[in-house]
Amino acid sequence: MPVFKTRPAGLKIIIVGAGKVGTTLVEQLSHEGHDITIVDKVASKVNDIATTYDVMGCVGNGATYLTLVEAGVKDADLIIAVTESDELNLLCCTIAKQFSNCSAISRLRNPDYSKEANYLRETLGLSMLINPDHEAAKVMSRVLYIPTALEVRSFAHGQALITKIKIPEGNIIDKMTIAELGSKITNNILICGVERDGSVFIPGGSFELAAGDIITVVATSKEQNNFLKSIGFAMNTIKDAMIIGGGRSSYYLADILIKKGISVKIIEKDLRRCEHLNELLPKATIINGDGTNTELLLEEGIKNADAFIPLTGIDEQNVMLSLHAKKISDTKRITKINRTGFIDIVNSLDLGSVFYPMFITADMILAYVRAKTAAPGSNIETVYHLFDSRAEAITFKVTDDSKITGKPLKELKIKKNTLISYIGHNGEAIIPTGNDVISKGDTVMVVTMQTGFDDIGDILE
Amino acid sequence: MNNRMIRYILCQVMRIEGVLMLLPCLISIIYGDGEGMYYGIVAGVLIISGFIGCHFVPKDQSINVKEGYTVTGLSWIVMSLFGCLPFWLSGEIPSFTNAFYETVSGFTTTGASILSDVEGLTHTALFWRSFTHWIGGMGVLVFLLALIPMSGGSNINLMKAESPGPSVGKLVPKIRKTALILYVIYMILTLLETVFLLFGGLNLFDSLCLAFGTAGTGGFAIRNDSFMSYGLYIRWVAAIFMFLFGLNFNAYYMMLMRQFKKALLMEEVRIYFLIVTISTLIIFAKILPMYETAFTAMTDSFFQVMTVTSTTGFGSADFDLWPTTAKVILCFLMFMGACAGSTGGGVKVSRLIILWKSFVREIQALIHPKIVKKVKMDGKPLELDVVRSTTVFLATYMIIFLASLLVVSLDNYDLTTSFTAVLANLNNIGPGLSLVGPTCNYGFLSGLSKWVLTFDMLAGRLELYPILVLLAPSLYKK
Repeated sequence: MPVFKTRPAGLKIIIVGAGKVGTTLVEQLSHEGHDITIVDKVASKVNDIATTYDVMGCVGNGATYLTLVEAGVKDADLIIAVTESDELNLLCCTIAKQFSNCSAISRLRNPDYSKEANYLRETLGLSMLINPDHEAAKVMSRVLYIPTALEVRSFAHGQALITKIKIPEGNIIDKMTIAELGSKITNNILICGVERDGSVFIPGGSFELAAGDIITVVATSKEQNNFLKSIGFAMNTIKDAMIIGGGRSSYYLADILIKKGISVKIIEKDLRRCEHLNELLPKATIINGDGTNTELLLEEGIKNADAFIPLTGIDEQNVMLSLHAKKISDTKRITKINRTGFIDIVNSLDLGSVFYPMFITADMILAYVRAKTAAPGSNIETVYHLFDSRAEAITFKVTDDSKITGKPLKELKIKKNTLISYIGHNGEAIIPTGNDVISKGDTVMVVTMQTGFDDIGDILE
Repeated sequence: MNNRMIRYILCQVMRIEGVLMLLPCLISIIYGDGEGMYYGIVAGVLIISGFIGCHFVPKDQSINVKEGYTVTGLSWIVMSLFGCLPFWLSGEIPSFTNAFYETVSGFTTTGASILSDVEGLTHTALFWRSFTHWIGGMGVLVFLLALIPMSGGSNINLMKAESPGPSVGKLVPKIRKTALILYVIYMILTLLETVFLLFGGLNLFDSLCLAFGTAGTGGFAIRNDSFMSYGLYIRWVAAIFMFLFGLNFNAYYMMLMRQFKKALLMEEVRIYFLIVTISTLIIFAKILPMYETAFTAMTDSFFQVMTVTSTTGFGSADFDLWPTTAKVILCFLMFMGACAGSTGGGVKVSRLIILWKSFVREIQALIHPKIVKKVKMDGKPLELDVVRSTTVFLATYMIIFLASLLVVSLDNYDLTTSFTAVLANLNNIGPGLSLVGPTCNYGFLSGLSKWVLTFDMLAGRLELYPILVLLAPSLYKK
């Protein structure tokens, strides 16, 4: 049975909008022991959530005073607006802030507003504005710089990376233990998680790697590249990318890639959307056509594209397109999955890099909530879910001396399945060994299979 | 079907019952009647087997609707089976059927007794009898939810199955806190009543037993004549607390949150108050000629209206001797019962409100066939599902009522006796009219009738479905 820490004083959180993100948030936050009220206009959605999770439901328009009062906004700590409509989200947060001291997080997806996100956030006094499509695009773009990796996330303000790679057959680190890897290849990286046959391990020194393992590596970006090169991974970055579907996430991704000098081709069915995209992204090649038409894909050069990224709104199409691309070329593939219900099936398919925008959004909000609950002495900067939320990588800023500071790591009694994988000390990145010490002011990343850490002290037994 | 979770919850219930059964042991030591041994043995068995069963915590802790209903039905049966053992083993109630009847009557807060001489029981047995009312009043699974942290949020289904009312909701986001708040309100009110009864000159034991009986809206008294020999002060205290325990507990929570206006404006609370007042006044007018002073007539009419409406079933007067109008009104009130979300039984005031409003809506739809009009409660439109399940509930309720009546009629007693026997058991009241009136008991009925009435009590307390679902063959298919 997973151990869920129940805090005596969970936050009172109101979540407006019982869509996919709303449900994911309810699931994660209620597991972490917060008092949650879910608000939605549709009674059946609210009822479903209220009987599945330990939360209270409230039916009504979340942007009205009466509904918000009924949901208990007056003594709420946080309101999260994730309805379909940006305008409703903003209105909801604004009204809540009028008569409550709560913090507010709103989802904002429309590119028109996102350019003014900072202005909106400051004038409306919101704590956070989240653009899931933009965040997903950022994460996807990072993996395109290191195309041999399955996933790349940055932390500690970009000083270090978490990279997920799959060990191919016959690689030199096949059948190598973690300790041998340290002595033979490099000491400057840390393997903080291994997924094998559907199970996740946090490996010790005697753990033997095998071909087919998916490993998560923590290192600075320079050491990262050296490591990948030394184990024989090609490091050439991509020059062009083909994106199927012209939705919001395609726009954001194309925008990022073009700025990095990568040429982008977008295939979109709707002519008017194509025209609009052409105005927004003058440097991109916009093709008006059905991206699921294999003839068209061949014609547009799927075989020679460095990266192939299906971003249609339909998961099944994305999966089929990704599998199709795998069949006819060895391009780098990124597959976006919106629904989280079939993770086990998605994992069993070879889909290249898989992204769940939902988890990316939920991670950001979770990091915020955990930081808000944290005891004084440490602050959460980021929370990443690894291996489909079976493990978490949490970055803490150590702001005060505590039990964990000033002692060599080997003297600390650290919980099972928990690993200190990075220490940022005075701008210097340390991949820690037993003799390293955490001091005040450091940034520390912990990888753990436990859930609900909100304070660096939680890693101790 | 999550059998492991069902096993786990059943064992938790057994463990809790075992611990609660240690209280009568304590009483036995205080009064030195030697009965505690039997309670101690049963408590030991419950605690040990409960602990063993609870040791293996199931990985999958999900409780879906069907698990919620099944485990609730089973818990109550298991609880009653073990609860009746001390009565039976000690020989205070020699027949097993009678012992089981008496215990179910206790847990379901019915208060119908098969005993002709209550005063002949030991203090220990009297205490356990009354204490079962208190346990059953708010419900043992709600108690479990308040005590034991369970992962997953689907355990709301446990509370939905056990708590009365057409739509059970939470007071606060966390179910554990909701259950805790309910029990705290319950305990405070019980304590208050005990203190008031102590002021009335009763000793601590009597006050506690009567407070348990009132709190659970049960009705087991500790004297053979129930309340008839108590003074006016004690009657008023009991009557007022019966009124309070028949109220929707949501109202108390709102008052705790200082939303007095909202609490008093709850539609169900207002209607409950109105019905109680009108009934009291009519009965008062009818029975006034039988009394010497208007005040005693008022006391008895209010007491009897409350005891029947809250489905407690104490007797302050032999209302079997009252005029027919008064008796019929009492029968109506037996059907109605208390508010949803209270400790009382019956059909519940809120269901009647919904039924009345659907009736009005139907009539209007006959006059204006295209009318669009939703059934509303507290100004909010109700889901069609709630309205539908309310009407189905009433239909099921009538079927069970009529079927039970048919079986009980095999004993060949008069219609009033058979009718009110089923009425008083299905609605968890206790005394009926004629041969089962407030001065009589159920001891003379045949074994078959007793078993049917036992079923009725359980079905009535759990609002039919948790018990009916146990009879559905598809539940046992894989």
